[in-house]
Amino acid sequence: MKHVIPKTYKEALEHLSEGTYKVLAGGTDLMVKNRSWSETPARFKQDMLYIHNLDELRYVEDKGDHLAIGALTDYETLLRHEAVPKVLKDCLIEIAGPAIRKVGTLAGNIGNASPAADGVLLLYLLDAQLVIERKGARREALIDDVITGPGKTTLSNEEMIKEIRLPKSTFTKTQFLKVGGRKADAISKVAFAGAVRIEDGIVKDLRMAIGAVNVTVVRLREVEKLHTGETISAVQDSIVSIKNAYVPHIKPIDDQRSNRVYRKRVAFNMIEDFIMNMHIQD
Amino acid sequence: MAKVTFTLNGESITVDEPLNMRFLDILRMKLGLTGSKEGCGEGECGACAVLIDGQLVNSCLLPLGSVEGRNVMTIEGYRKTKRYKILEDAFIEEGAVQCGICTPGMVMASESLLNQNPKPSEKEIRIALAGNLCRCTGYEMIFKAVKRAAKEGEGLW
Amino acid sequence: MKTKKDISESIRKVDSEEKISGRAPYTSDISVEGMLYAKTVRSPIARGVIKNVKLPDMPEGYYTVDASDIPSRNVVSMIYEDWPVFAEKEVNFIGEPIMLIVGPDKETVMNLADNVEIDYEEKNPVFDFSNSGVRLHFDKGDVVNAFERAAKTIEYEYETGYQEQAYIEPQGFVGYIEDGGYTLVGSIQCPYYVKNAVMDTMGEDEDKVRVIQAPVGGAFGGKEEFPSVTACQLAVALKKIQKPIKFIYEREEDMETTTKRHPSKTKMEAALDEHNNIIGMRSRIGLDGGAYIGLSGVVLSRGMLAVTNAYTIDNLDVHGDVFLTNTVPNGAFRGFGAPQMIFAIEMFIHHIAKDIGEDPYVFRKRHMVKQGDKTSTSGTFRDPIILDDMIQKAVEISNYHDKAKAYEDRDTYKGIGMSWFLHGCGFTGSGESDIIKANVKLRKDDEDNVHILVAAVDMGQGPKTTFRKLVADILDVPIEQVTFNYPDTRYVPDSGPTVASRTMMVVGGLLARAAKTLKEDWKEGEEQTVVKQYEQPDYVEWDQDTMRGDAYPAYSWGVNVVEVEVSKVTYEVTVTNAWSIYDLGKAIDERIVMGQADGGQAQGIAYGYLEVMNHENGKLKQKNMTDYIIPTSVDVPKMENHIMDNPYPLGPYGAKGVGELTLVGGAPAVALAIEQAIGRKVRKIPATPESIMELIDNG
Ligand SMILES: Cc1cc2nc3c(=O)[nH]c(=O)nc-3n(C[C@H](O)[C@H](O)[C@H](O)COP(=O)(O)OP(=O)(O)OC[C@H]3O[C@@H](n4cnc5c(N)ncnc54)[C@H](O)[C@@H]3O)c2cc1C
Ligand code: FES
Ligand code: FES
Repeated sequence: MKHVIPKTYKEALEHLSEGTYKVLAGGTDLMVKNRSWSETPARFKQDMLYIHNLDELRYVEDKGDHLAIGALTDYETLLRHEAVPKVLKDCLIEIAGPAIRKVGTLAGNIGNASPAADGVLLLYLLDAQLVIERKGARREALIDDVITGPGKTTLSNEEMIKEIRLPKSTFTKTQFLKVGGRKADAISKVAFAGAVRIEDGIVKDLRMAIGAVNVTVVRLREVEKLHTGETISAVQDSIVSIKNAYVPHIKPIDDQRSNRVYRKRVAFNMIEDFIMNMHIQD
Repeated sequence: MAKVTFTLNGESITVDEPLNMRFLDILRMKLGLTGSKEGCGEGECGACAVLIDGQLVNSCLLPLGSVEGRNVMTIEGYRKTKRYKILEDAFIEEGAVQCGICTPGMVMASESLLNQNPKPSEKEIRIALAGNLCRCTGYEMIFKAVKRAAKEGEGLW
Repeated sequence: MKTKKDISESIRKVDSEEKISGRAPYTSDISVEGMLYAKTVRSPIARGVIKNVKLPDMPEGYYTVDASDIPSRNVVSMIYEDWPVFAEKEVNFIGEPIMLIVGPDKETVMNLADNVEIDYEEKNPVFDFSNSGVRLHFDKGDVVNAFERAAKTIEYEYETGYQEQAYIEPQGFVGYIEDGGYTLVGSIQCPYYVKNAVMDTMGEDEDKVRVIQAPVGGAFGGKEEFPSVTACQLAVALKKIQKPIKFIYEREEDMETTTKRHPSKTKMEAALDEHNNIIGMRSRIGLDGGAYIGLSGVVLSRGMLAVTNAYTIDNLDVHGDVFLTNTVPNGAFRGFGAPQMIFAIEMFIHHIAKDIGEDPYVFRKRHMVKQGDKTSTSGTFRDPIILDDMIQKAVEISNYHDKAKAYEDRDTYKGIGMSWFLHGCGFTGSGESDIIKANVKLRKDDEDNVHILVAAVDMGQGPKTTFRKLVADILDVPIEQVTFNYPDTRYVPDSGPTVASRTMMVVGGLLARAAKTLKEDWKEGEEQTVVKQYEQPDYVEWDQDTMRGDAYPAYSWGVNVVEVEVSKVTYEVTVTNAWSIYDLGKAIDERIVMGQADGGQAQGIAYGYLEVMNHENGKLKQKNMTDYIIPTSVDVPKMENHIMDNPYPLGPYGAKGVGELTLVGGAPAVALAIEQAIGRKVRKIPATPESIMELIDNG
């Protein structure tokens, strides 16, 4: 097996084009998954590209209509950057602890594609566009179209995420609510992110994303659209039908961290809590 | 095997080891620096924490391949500094050390915090230490130690 | 004249510097020239018979070590002898050790271990409470009569889950051959438990086994009996291979295969008279012992002794069983049976009060023990009890009554809970004099330096500091003139295990006596040695068979108050504040005691609401630090602790036990707070968000 530290992003794409490599960014998922006995090397099953040092992919840039985040930007840097939306920061501060956040990346969170990933939940909420490249080609895709299931993405072996774009939007209220086993350093049992923009009592933009209740993040754009343009009270009066719309999509599992009954209940509580309080400013 | 060059406790160093070795093992086995401890090997406890470019990182999840060109500080280097002395003294005075296995990591986490925020509130201290598990102390005396260090070491950070 | 400082006044811990700086050599930091590495091959099934073992091709220099290599007995000698060093024919739990693979290259060792093929004939595993391995019983007064004349009886059942010690340093030893004998350096609580077990397994004499304590990175009971298992395995390997071997557990391995706190079920039934006084109580406790009994019988007994906690109940009937199941053996954990029982009784007393419509605070106070009362085992509470003052103080600093009233408003989703409790100090009954027979030694060299020679282990709780402080204070010499090195059985006598909150009261007590003798007889510039042996206080009378008499020479006392908020949306509990008051006789160093208070409480509270472990068909579901949740710095509440002096005449400077006391009351306090916040009775811990949701739904 080959292990390579590419010196440049270009070189990284060159290696990737061979189709046998896996990229390691912060390594906080990969090193756990491929853990071996202590004092022996990690048990990777394929060729590895150590891209952690590609500083050229470490940036946060305000592009006017969107925020461009280089794929290797770590969570701690994002937390400190003034242009990063508050709701994303509210989420990031609840990911792991500082030492993981210093190396962990949104791109890695996407690549790992865990249904319980917190960063991914926020990328759904914020309509993130991913800039995906391979040698000689580039595509852009909405986060929803990249993640297809637990650990599954549409990324090919030759591709990697170069940049994450967050379209600018303003909200009058946002919420991130995560239930882990404890208050830090915990994997989500269930998580919720919500955002709304209310102008003159009218709901102009409504978004809700729910994590760890299905194979991918649940975000129902049709339901959100249905209620856009309504008054606050009209939306709140529809709480039962809104919740009903989510019923077929909230299908959590039992595991070592929680159980399906609880996850389901809390997911609906979170939806209701957000809708019923969306007019109350933070 | 591959050659990787980085700065360790102020000195440039090159090691020739597999890139998928955990940096923690490089430190402990190859370099004999056993001040960084292994509590879990999965990023959860922070006993293995070191500073990379001044910020806290868990070395058990860091492959050697990620360290190329970086500036690493371990407890062995840090304990030679003035800031360390302040923290050491504060940890002792406040009784923040029991079994001690978490302590080098706690000290590195405290340095990383104070480096970025010389006057942290208790809440900020709690958040900064949230990736360092301590099973003995209930943390209370560690919070006090960090507060004391911030005060006694004013101007150093 | 300079006035002497109060002994409680804190000094700097003597071993902090080496720990903070990373210099302290914990077991896994130790390397020995030419050492090999050992890895355990384990059973993947919960119960079965080993049919066939097929080894991979073993390269030169790689070894297997199994039951056939044991020179003497295939049993780990501990209080009850049923735990094999290596499984030989049968396996009884998932993860049970079958053999070691030993060799110089870890990757090769690991691959070999992965490729050992074992065929089993599987048998039906047992997981329920049906197969009793130990049964104990005691009574007091006439319980049958009490129930016959009762105006009312009330019955409840309580359940507690596993708790994992989760010391941050996993189990480990480094072993080597020295003068034809076996030297084991390790992370242990009880050097002589290890030594005796190894001697027994190896059939070796005293002088062939040397056990040295390395700095211990947390233990909490988890390094009490369990290290004897790995030590015996390692000694067998040393004998076969004759080379140094390092044997360190990985985190997952440690969590999946080492002892934990016993899950329990307790049924309690109270008889009340027409004035709503409890006149009798029946209780039946069951502990899940796991696959082997080991220490479980003793844990059960200590649990049962705590059955009435700090209440006096005249008529009692108490049954207990350790049930054998095909799960990892459970064992010692700070509190040793008491946390399960104190949870049950504290909740029960509240639930009785609630059912009869009386204010629990008043009801409990009415039943509280007073000096001179009979204990659960018909012994006597001889010493002054200051629990009333302690409760008073706890109520004041926590503003308990006002909050308890305000939180009766369900909509606040807040609650406050108060537990009060006792903890017996030292070994049960005549254990100290019949079984342990502790010895301590003080040696003064010709430069007048005094060396403390005891087998007590500093695992963070401070004896390295407090013993030196104590001896220096009595001798009136600077602490620097007194040394206390990590115990090495070659030099130190058997002062007993570092368990049961006995270290300061018993071992410290003996050291104090030795120091007094040395002082009286001090000859400058001369070598002198003083030895002291434990003597039972003459008032202690105990009959082990009927479990009657004075179970403990003394009791420590505590009050915990915990305040919580429960989320209406997620049912998560936030512990906002915790207060505690302790009577541990006299603190030999206040800050060290406060450290025990903080840490013990954090563990005790977390036991009540946070720490979840369970198994599915014998396989533990939470097997690493990610899934087994212990509190982080953002989970622990703001804590305020106080100690109140109440010197025990026979303890050094009046000191009693500390270590376990601080844990045992946390769970009921937090459970009671949650109970108030949600307006439902909590009968099972941990009270997780999942179970809180169920309680709210179903009552
Ligand atoms: C103790 C601990 C706590 C944690 N807590 C949380 C938590 O609270 N919430 C949470 O969501 N996660 C948590 N995680 C998981 C993890 O930290 C995150 O998923 C993190 O975002 C992964 O980023 P990384 O850069 O470390 O990924 P890596 O491990 O480097 O990579 C993960 C995957 O993504 C791929 N990948 C990485 N970069 C790219 C790229 N640019 N293009 C294409 N593919 C790429 C990799 O090939 C790999 O398949 C935790 C992990 C640990 C160890
Ligand atoms: S050993 Fe690295 S975080 Fe626990
Ligand atoms: S002092 Fe023991 S784990 Fe922190």
